[in-house]
Amino acid sequence: MRLGESFRILFRNPYGRLGLSLIALLSVIAAVGPYISPYGVWEYGVCKPFEPPSPTHPLGCDEIGRDILALLLHGSRVSLLVGFTAAVFSTLLGALVGLVGGYFGGFVDAVLMRVVDALLAIPGLVLMIIFAAVLGPSLFNVVLVISVLSWPPIARVVRSQVLSLKESPHVEAARAFGAGSARIIFRHIAPATLPLLVANMVLQVSNAVISESALSFLGLGDPRIPTWGNILRFAFRMGAMSAGYWWYVVPPGIGIVLAVLSATFLGYALDEIVNPKLRRY
Amino acid sequence: MSMPRYAALRAAQTAISFFILVAIAFFLFRVMPGDPTAFLLESTKIHPETRQLLKQRLGLDRPLVEQFFIYFKNLFIGELGYSLYYGRPVTELMFGRRLVNTLVLVGTSTAAAIGIGLVLALASVRRYGSKVDSALTTFSMVTYSVPTFWLGMILIMVFAVRLRWFPVGGTVTAITAHSSPLEYLADYLWHMALPFTVLTLIEIGYNYLIVRNTMVSLLQEDFVYLARAKGLSEGEVMRRHVFRAALPPFATIVGLQIAGIFTGAVMTETIFSWEGLGRLLYDAVSTRDYPLIQGIFMLILAAFLATNYVVDLLYAALDPRVRLK
Repeated sequence: MRLGESFRILFRNPYGRLGLSLIALLSVIAAVGPYISPYGVWEYGVCKPFEPPSPTHPLGCDEIGRDILALLLHGSRVSLLVGFTAAVFSTLLGALVGLVGGYFGGFVDAVLMRVVDALLAIPGLVLMIIFAAVLGPSLFNVVLVISVLSWPPIARVVRSQVLSLKESPHVEAARAFGAGSARIIFRHIAPATLPLLVANMVLQVSNAVISESALSFLGLGDPRIPTWGNILRFAFRMGAMSAGYWWYVVPPGIGIVLAVLSATFLGYALDEIVNPKLRRY
Repeated sequence: MSMPRYAALRAAQTAISFFILVAIAFFLFRVMPGDPTAFLLESTKIHPETRQLLKQRLGLDRPLVEQFFIYFKNLFIGELGYSLYYGRPVTELMFGRRLVNTLVLVGTSTAAAIGIGLVLALASVRRYGSKVDSALTTFSMVTYSVPTFWLGMILIMVFAVRLRWFPVGGTVTAITAHSSPLEYLADYLWHMALPFTVLTLIEIGYNYLIVRNTMVSLLQEDFVYLARAKGLSEGEVMRRHVFRAALPPFATIVGLQIAGIFTGAVMTETIFSWEGLGRLLYDAVSTRDYPLIQGIFMLILAAFLATNYVVDLLYAALDPRVRLK
């Protein structure tokens, strides 16, 4: 399927349309946000602490007099980058495990699948919290922990597809021509799993964004770098809820919801395209 | 494969999973930096002989493999050490009212989310492709995308701070002495209302989507065409064929669900200061209380592996094809 054609199919799906537009919008905000932001991350005292929204500060101010809109604009880039990077790494890791396990089978496969089983048995975020707590708070560790703990579902999906692909005629032909394992895996099997991988990677983005926000909220990220989850952490700790400072609590959450939702919509639309059983009849 | 043989095979696989996870825990808590004893042992103020003695006492001078087996043995006899922050045995902190509080909160909201999710999914599949179906699906994706802790913050701001209908947090009102057990229960439930709502709302969407999508794929199976062809009413097709076939996957969901909702419980309990295991984990993480973190990790591990095992057996009983593979 050509790229242009895929986009057209995606655009015909209402969820695909909505998801794509939202992702485009958020990407633009993340890309230019820090440049159009009226203040830097550490420009404090530009307004009174917890000042309510006004024309000069549309989303009010935090506890040290920082413009919340500026924090959100800077934070959007970090939140999305962390989410996207972690999603890419976990998808690649899952794909690699699935390809190797599915293709070679036997002992390697059995070991890999037991690890998948073990990791899938316990809730991902709880495991992430524990790992991040032991590794120490940092943004790098957040990305690392999300990547290293989110790949098992991908591995399982890819593996089951590889199991049927490796029996297909074109793989058999390649083997008859004397192609090595690596060549067969990466040239003849991996490309066929690509549509499935893309659909799953998009869903991984939503998982990664929501995991990052939760880890940052719990204080396991870098407190000096604003992300949506981090801003909410400070809102929570500074008692913004009991004081009714809604402008400190509502906007970062909306950012997270929009990012996760756009990825969920897009993933859902892609799933309908990749998995014909879900197509409307 | 007969049922007992299948049960034995799955038990062996569960044991292997357990072993892998304990190995990960050992690596994480013993080998990685951050082990509190390492701080003491690396300190230059300690006399080399004292350090050697301490290492011997703690068994840190033995080979790593041996250390691992000692670690494993201690785990089996329930020796999880002392909390650095509370100074009390980890087991004593975990097993007690915190466990009960979490079980009550998670149990009731899981049941509610499963019930509501199932009803909504059935309503949706019956009107597949209609406005109701799209509205419910969109709603589910939205609830699925909302961070648990943020939903909790919003509900606190609206229902506890502004409207004053519910308390901001806690498990019971501390200052008032409860005159009767009934009053205590009422107070407890009053405190539980908001965290319960958060957890239920978050999980409904997930349940709904899985059941709906499973049933939609089933609608295209040959046996459904046959059922329609032989003149069964649409309601009967749903009840007798589609719904029945969707049950085994649903059993798996319920298992995963319990895992998912516990994750939600960590965030929810933190926000609402609900005195449960989730809140305990948050406190342990904030104070870098490694023995306590490790203890909770082990408890979660045991609980989830056991749940998974039971769910798998249930699945095999509902769908014998699983055992034949």
